Amino acid sequence: MTVNVNQRVLKKAIGIGLTAVMGATLLAGCSSDGKSNSAAGGTDAPGKSAERVTLKVEIFDRGKTPKQYTITNNFVSQMIQKNFGDPNNINVEFVPVQRSEEVTKLNVLMASNTDVPDIVFTYDSSVFYRYAQQGGLTDVGSLLEEHGQTLKKFIGDETMAFGQLDGKQFAIPGKRAITGRYASYIRQDWLDKLGLPVPKNTDELYTTLKAFKEKDPGGLGSKTIPMGMSLGSAQLETLIYSFIKPISGDLTYSQRYELPLHEGFKDAAQFLNKLYNEGLVSKDFSLDEDKAQVSKDIQNGNVGFWSEDVDSMFYADGTLDNLYKNVPGSKVLPADILTNAKVDNKYIKSRYASNGMYIMIPKSSKRAVEAVKYLDWMATGNNLIDIYNGVEGENYDMVEGIPVVKADVSQEFQDRLFTSGDTAIISNGKNLGDQATNEKAWILGFPANNQEALKQSIDIANTDTVGPIVFGKPIESESKYGTTLSDKLNVIIVKTAMAKPDQFDTIFEQEMKDYMSLGGDKLKAELEQALTEISAK
Amino acid sequence: MSKASYIRRYWQLYALLSLPIMYFLIFRYGPMYGVQIAFKDFNLFQGINGSEWIGFDAFREVFGMKEFYSSLRNTFMLNFLDLIVSFPAPIILAIMLYEVKSVWFKKISQTLLYIPHFISWVIIGGIVYQLFGNQSGMVNGVLESMGLNPIPFLTEKNPWLITYLFTGVWQSAGWGTILYLAALTGVNRELFEAAEVDGATRMKKIFYITLPSIKPTIITLLILNLGKMVSIGFDRPYIIGNTAVREYSDVLSTFVYRIGLESGQYTLATVVGLFQAVVGLVFILGSNYISKKVTGDGIL
Repeated sequence: MTVNVNQRVLKKAIGIGLTAVMGATLLAGCSSDGKSNSAAGGTDAPGKSAERVTLKVEIFDRGKTPKQYTITNNFVSQMIQKNFGDPNNINVEFVPVQRSEEVTKLNVLMASNTDVPDIVFTYDSSVFYRYAQQGGLTDVGSLLEEHGQTLKKFIGDETMAFGQLDGKQFAIPGKRAITGRYASYIRQDWLDKLGLPVPKNTDELYTTLKAFKEKDPGGLGSKTIPMGMSLGSAQLETLIYSFIKPISGDLTYSQRYELPLHEGFKDAAQFLNKLYNEGLVSKDFSLDEDKAQVSKDIQNGNVGFWSEDVDSMFYADGTLDNLYKNVPGSKVLPADILTNAKVDNKYIKSRYASNGMYIMIPKSSKRAVEAVKYLDWMATGNNLIDIYNGVEGENYDMVEGIPVVKADVSQEFQDRLFTSGDTAIISNGKNLGDQATNEKAWILGFPANNQEALKQSIDIANTDTVGPIVFGKPIESESKYGTTLSDKLNVIIVKTAMAKPDQFDTIFEQEMKDYMSLGGDKLKAELEQALTEISAK
Repeated sequence: MSKASYIRRYWQLYALLSLPIMYFLIFRYGPMYGVQIAFKDFNLFQGINGSEWIGFDAFREVFGMKEFYSSLRNTFMLNFLDLIVSFPAPIILAIMLYEVKSVWFKKISQTLLYIPHFISWVIIGGIVYQLFGNQSGMVNGVLESMGLNPIPFLTEKNPWLITYLFTGVWQSAGWGTILYLAALTGVNRELFEAAEVDGATRMKKIFYITLPSIKPTIITLLILNLGKMVSIGFDRPYIIGNTAVREYSDVLSTFVYRIGLESGQYTLATVVGLFQAVVGLVFILGSNYISKKVTGDGIL
């Protein structure tokens, strides 16, 4: 009897104990992930662990990992570990950050102090300035002198200046290989069917779009989208840039939410209003923030004219290949069409500055020296080419100093490179020399049948470009009101586009007043002030 | 029995109780330490202690922001409409399920009604876009083929509100029936039999037996819902909302996300969070007080 009772008590106690352990494991579970992401893949040398250190590097996760790899352990990470990590007794560990939540996640990482990677980056200048001003970044000036001479030479003084604040080097700006951004495309087969010429300016484009709508050369009925539109910058900004007057010569305020501060913005909105009300643009463009829908529509052959990032149509099995597969007989012609009446009918479009992302080393990092050494290694010799192109003879051949992607590379070899661009952070695009060489190298990385069209696209993207004014100091209002005004810009565009034409003026005035009161007026004043300062210099 | 021996005798129960207490201490009370960010010029790298006190400056800034008021208005508006539309839905559904005689039919429909609750809002958002888009939406495709004008379900104020409310009902009504059905299982069947003998119709039975028996549950849930008037989930307005209806879909939670996490102004975001908590407390105490006065039932 007593035995029985004791057993019952014991059972109860075990039950409670187990419950408590499970609870504790649940609590502990939150903190234990992310620690086992070593890229080393079994190359640890346990004997030397005393002096071996770990360098943590941020990497964008775009969710496109082939199944034999992970985002933290793959061909490129193993190559880096072997060629850089092991000789220097460093474990290189990659910390994935989802591409679409980059800034949000980075803010969280930076706040944690202990979990933050030793190398982080962002494209957003106001994020960089905020971290620098709040004292969160390492001044890498002297470290670069000591350990980063190759890197310094690779980036160049002009680009390096983008990472400075008050004379201190708080970031290493990546170098951009190609500054052209956008090109436009029209369906040649639709034009041929209607016997129309390629439109040469914005007015002619309007006539062509109307013909696409009325005569329906694709035979698609209500599915026809004469002009593809989205809230993505490739579609929206190219249209706006063909109406605004740049602030000074071929330079202007570059942030997307600063477009309403330009003369001519209203004309752009009005044109879009006209197109929308006549059913000439994508009806659901207001729902399409990441241009996913418009890409789908293009691939399905429903779109007659559109703008895109200069390269994005041409990847293997990309938009263009899919269109040609889906719609036999279709033909896409890269064509510069959108002219700007305020700038002598030039084909005004935006270009990038010469810098890429801001690469930063948090102040709390104890591996600043190793971080600079890593970036310096990347700039040395053939390392960048290897990261971008994989294995010579298997992925590419060297032809006159340019790595040429081999035709019919097997999927297995192609999959090696899915992290290439996001690992080679010091270089945005393939940097081999001057822009012409870079472009050549870039084109040769694409499938052979798309290379000619890409070349035309690049030529279009480089025509009549307008670049960003570089102030060399933070614009406070940008970091303060940037996200709010970005959101507001989208609202202005959508509301004015969808307004009935006779209500356009009222709604536009109302929305602009809102924009100004949400911080637009302060931003405008500060930008104008900064502008007089640099022209006084 | 002395206190010590009482505890010794029921220690297992206390051990079990310690888990929820730990949960509340760690996840509910611990983070309150961070509330002081609202009164500090928060610097990410100095931490909470290293940042300087600024008094009520941040509150002044937030209360001067136009967006704050529009998102507050929208929060109240969406929650209020939700209360009118979504709150009665599970009650009606629960009563209907309760009236179903066939056991297998009841079980199957209950399961089907629960399923939407387990679908994340991101996926629901995808479904809604596929169904209700202007150009590619299925519903509008059908309307068009019947020669009707498409309805801008997602891009105009009133149609959007209806879409928003009914996706909410679709997602949560089934799950919401659980509490009511549980309350209904406790109802004495003899009451129904007695009513039948007296010749009560089905509607009469619902009004005079079923509803009064779940009244306490309804009131408890109503009070809880009123307490949440000023707080609103993030996913639903963020995902179902879009640029065209931003004026109505921007609520406090999306506002906090934008100024706090996206533009890194943590102080302002904390102020809004604190404001929400205080107003929420006022609401829950107020509705509890009224409910006690009017019906004699309350939760506190």
